[in-house]
Amino acid sequence: IDCISHFTFFYYPKLYTPGQRNMYFNRTSFLLCIMQSCYNSLILFFIPYAALHDTVRQDGREIADYQSFAILLQTCLIIVVNAQIFLDTWYWTGINHFFLWGSMAAYFALTFTMNSNGLFFIFPTMFHVFVSGTGRNSLNQPNTWLIIFLTCLLCILPIVALRFIFIQTSPTINDKARKYKMRRDEIPAISLRPPATRRVSKRSSYAFSHSQGYGDLVTSQKFLDKKTPRRPLLFVKSLCKLAHMIIFGFFVTFTQL
Amino acid sequence: MTTMKEEGNYANRPSNTAFTQQRLPAWQPMLSAGVVIPGFLLIGLAFIGIGVGLLITSRSIQVLELDYTGTETSSPCYQCTMSNQSNCVCKLSFSIGTLFKGPVFFYYGLTNYFQNQRKYGVSKDFNQLIGDVSYFKSPSSDCQPYQRVNGKPIVPCGAIANSMFNDTFKLYQIINGKEELVPFDGKGIAWWTDYNIKYRNPDYTPLKNAFNDTEKPVFWTKPAYELDTSDASNNGFINQDFLVWMRRAALPNFRKLYRRITEGNYKDGLPAGNYSLEISYNYPVISFEGTKKVTFSNVSWMGGQNEFLGIAYLVIGSMCVVMSVVMLIVYAKFRFPEED
Repeated sequence: IDCISHFTFFYYPKLYTPGQRNMYFNRTSFLLCIMQSCYNSLILFFIPYAALHDTVRQDGREIADYQSFAILLQTCLIIVVNAQIFLDTWYWTGINHFFLWGSMAAYFALTFTMNSNGLFFIFPTMFHVFVSGTGRNSLNQPNTWLIIFLTCLLCILPIVALRFIFIQTSPTINDKARKYKMRRDEIPAISLRPPATRRVSKRSSYAFSHSQGYGDLVTSQKFLDKKTPRRPLLFVKSLCKLAHMIIFGFFVTFTQL
Repeated sequence: MTTMKEEGNYANRPSNTAFTQQRLPAWQPMLSAGVVIPGFLLIGLAFIGIGVGLLITSRSIQVLELDYTGTETSSPCYQCTMSNQSNCVCKLSFSIGTLFKGPVFFYYGLTNYFQNQRKYGVSKDFNQLIGDVSYFKSPSSDCQPYQRVNGKPIVPCGAIANSMFNDTFKLYQIINGKEELVPFDGKGIAWWTDYNIKYRNPDYTPLKNAFNDTEKPVFWTKPAYELDTSDASNNGFINQDFLVWMRRAALPNFRKLYRRITEGNYKDGLPAGNYSLEISYNYPVISFEGTKKVTFSNVSWMGGQNEFLGIAYLVIGSMCVVMSVVMLIVYAKFRFPEED
């Protein structure tokens, strides 16, 4: 999801080129995606394998049993996938926050519920496969959390580093536009020249105003009452011109006096 | 005339709320140098710190491993590997140089043993193990081929229960030429949830009556209700050794807790000296090229000895620090071009 508004796209049509040139979904990007998935899968299995192959719990009991290993891998996977979504989301509304953090919270809630004693007593035949007690017994070990921490960061950090380096060395046009927008607080259109042709129609310019602040202006019917659409920047420009003329006039008259 | 048309259009106008027009307030993060480079440096340093801590903890754990498979002729247990020896006893002598700090945990380990194989793993009847007597008469078909024998149902059925580890160990310390038994503690070696919740004995007193018209597993020498006749809370399906075995391992080389050494003179650990381990060698592993061993170990906050995690943290930490330096150089050289 891009943070660049449609208004910006109108003045910078070059921003459409990545879509037209199929830059985001072609064979190269697909291959890169597969390579990243392979790397993630190997890390997700072999790091817990090597870390658990000959160790025990804090109290000496078993930690490397089948179900604990499965829960460990599942937890790592959920965290890595959510972190990847975190990295790929550029425009965080409340909905994004809710779904991302909500899905992680739901995973942990469901894991502990499915592994709880109560549910096991109600449905012993259904939940025996699962593991009554495994969630608690394995996820309360600091060793387990250290493994999860290492695995997730090992999957995410290379992506972050590569993205940063590519943004610095060969930024795409969207990266440049984002950086531009971050540096300028105001909407860029205000300082630009007006479009070449003036629109004479009385239809509302609602379709062009997709950034905050213009919607109210358009829907308040101000434009529909006038013969030609009066745009604020024109008004400002004409005011500036008037001011210049007045000052120049005064200057001339004063020098002639 | 245009006003009438426009009045009709007003009814179809889409709603102008922030949600429907995608004007919601949003946080727009940017992968900027001010966040990424210090972030990598911090993560790298934190990892190095954690790695050093883990390595130091791991190095402080003492482990003593003794293989007793008996494949070499020089091994004390060699005669037990001869075909069809039953009740063979062999003795392993070893010595400890410094005090082995307690509490000491005593494990048996197996290699090349795939408890994680799918067919092996599903081969048990869970309803029997929860104490449901109706399933004693008709075990689940998952237990094939360990479901029935001689026309009678097997309790507990299945391959996992059938292959229960049955070597027993006694440890003696040799003081002044005399053997002194080191007391073992067998309580609480399985998970609390396994013992109290997942496995239950049928509600019969005496327990033997629940097992009428059933057979013990083929490989076992004693039926389930005689696993520990001296202690009713360790008998039947809640026997600690049985529970430890039933919690199947994820990897082919594993170790399982057998006993703890925490009592009597050995509260502080095993003092330096000569020891003798008496093994009842019953479990056959040579047919599938596995090995058997015993391990003495003490534990710490991170569990048993495992150098991999410490080393991995150190390596990744140093790589993060190197990467942050590389990214700093890249950022300085290819500073973001200031163009429209």
